[in-house]
Amino acid sequence: MNIIETEAITFAGILNYPPVQIPEGSVTFLTGDSGSGKTTFLRLLNSTLTPVSGRVFYRGKDTGFEDPLEIRQKMLLTGQSVYLFDTTIRDNFRMYYEYRDLKPPSDEFIKEYLSLCIAPFPITSSCNTLSGGERQRVYLSIFLSFGADAFLLDEPTSALDRNLSDSVFSNIVSFAKKSNISLVVVSHDTELVRKYAEYEVSLSKRVMV
Amino acid sequence: MNGVVELQIWQFLSIYLLLIVVLVIFLKMRLSQTKRLLISSLMMTIQLIAAGFVLTYIFENPHPVYTMIYLSAMLIFASYQVVGKNKILNRKFKLAIVLSLSTSGAVVLIMFVGVIVGVSMFNPQYTIPLGGMIIGNAMTGINLGLKNFSESISTQRNKLENLLNLGVDPKRILLPHVNQALETALMPTINSMMGMGIIFLPGMMTGQILSGTIPTTAILYQIAIMIAICSTVCLAVFGSLIFGYRTLYNDRKQFVSFLQDS
Repeated sequence: MNIIETEAITFAGILNYPPVQIPEGSVTFLTGDSGSGKTTFLRLLNSTLTPVSGRVFYRGKDTGFEDPLEIRQKMLLTGQSVYLFDTTIRDNFRMYYEYRDLKPPSDEFIKEYLSLCIAPFPITSSCNTLSGGERQRVYLSIFLSFGADAFLLDEPTSALDRNLSDSVFSNIVSFAKKSNISLVVVSHDTELVRKYAEYEVSLSKRVMV
Repeated sequence: MNGVVELQIWQFLSIYLLLIVVLVIFLKMRLSQTKRLLISSLMMTIQLIAAGFVLTYIFENPHPVYTMIYLSAMLIFASYQVVGKNKILNRKFKLAIVLSLSTSGAVVLIMFVGVIVGVSMFNPQYTIPLGGMIIGNAMTGINLGLKNFSESISTQRNKLENLLNLGVDPKRILLPHVNQALETALMPTINSMMGMGIIFLPGMMTGQILSGTIPTTAILYQIAIMIAICSTVCLAVFGSLIFGYRTLYNDRKQFVSFLQDS
């Protein structure tokens, strides 16, 4: 069964996408040149943008008629730009959880997700002192810890070197497989695509006529 | 107590010598605002002379219509100032601002003139100057609040988008920014209330004392106007932001542009 299906959707008059099917529990990569609308496509999937024409289906249901907040929680998107609050790692978890009306997670839970993303930093360390790559891993840990039906990962390892990028991604894939979570990934890293892609959707710059 | 000393025109003109001193400093330091200083002093002079003549005429020939026209002109000018300074706002946001400014200004003014002073709303001697103070301060407050709000949401765009992706309600995401802007807008009013009477004698009180009102009466007026200003600023900024921030997301809980509708 497909977890996500889209018709040939168009957006903003310049982006038009082919119909896409994403099988449940799969690892699907979106590839294509910069400007081909990969990030926009993810945002069309999680209803933070609405297509000009064409529909997006989540488990067979037209997302245009579903509660957008629920859709976003089920298809959780991690953006290209990391955002962490100016505080400790533990408080970052807490603040994000508070925004979602959830109880603060336990320290063990936090550490578990930090180690999933190979971010073995003390949870009391301040996020301001972390490097770009370290921040990206903490950010991923927080978002992954929420759990979801599908994760839409936009350049999840862009700030990491090749080895680390591979290890983190490999962890994420086995985490997803274990819980039957689907992954839709935008990445420029051809190595990652070659190694982990079960499906690939290639977007090219198309101009509407 | 005596009434105020009439100013002789040549004595009055000597105050412009001070302005020349300021101008010299501006020119010497090559400050960029020299032209603005000149224009604004000139505008102030012309506008006040005009206001002097218009008010004299209205006071001599009081008519409810004149009072209302004057008040409306103040409101329109204030709205124009706020909306014009924040050109980028979308149309509904602008509407929220204009309505909040007019409603809160009108309500507090009616309360002040009609209840506290207890004269007719159409009495130009009270309604016009008090209206000016109330609306003028509300205008400054809204400007300050909006500046803070738009800056904080544009610099924290990334935070807003990440929280949206997490499935948080846009309302919940934006409210802390609304609160912060409201506090910022009220700060100057609150601070000036703190120093009042000790550090400086406020303008209205000074004016009344100069014209021969006994200080105890002047103080009552001053306290009343400060509370009136504080509440108008609060209501106007609160209204603008609380009705305005709803225009920043749609029923699909997506952020729509803070910018003007294209």
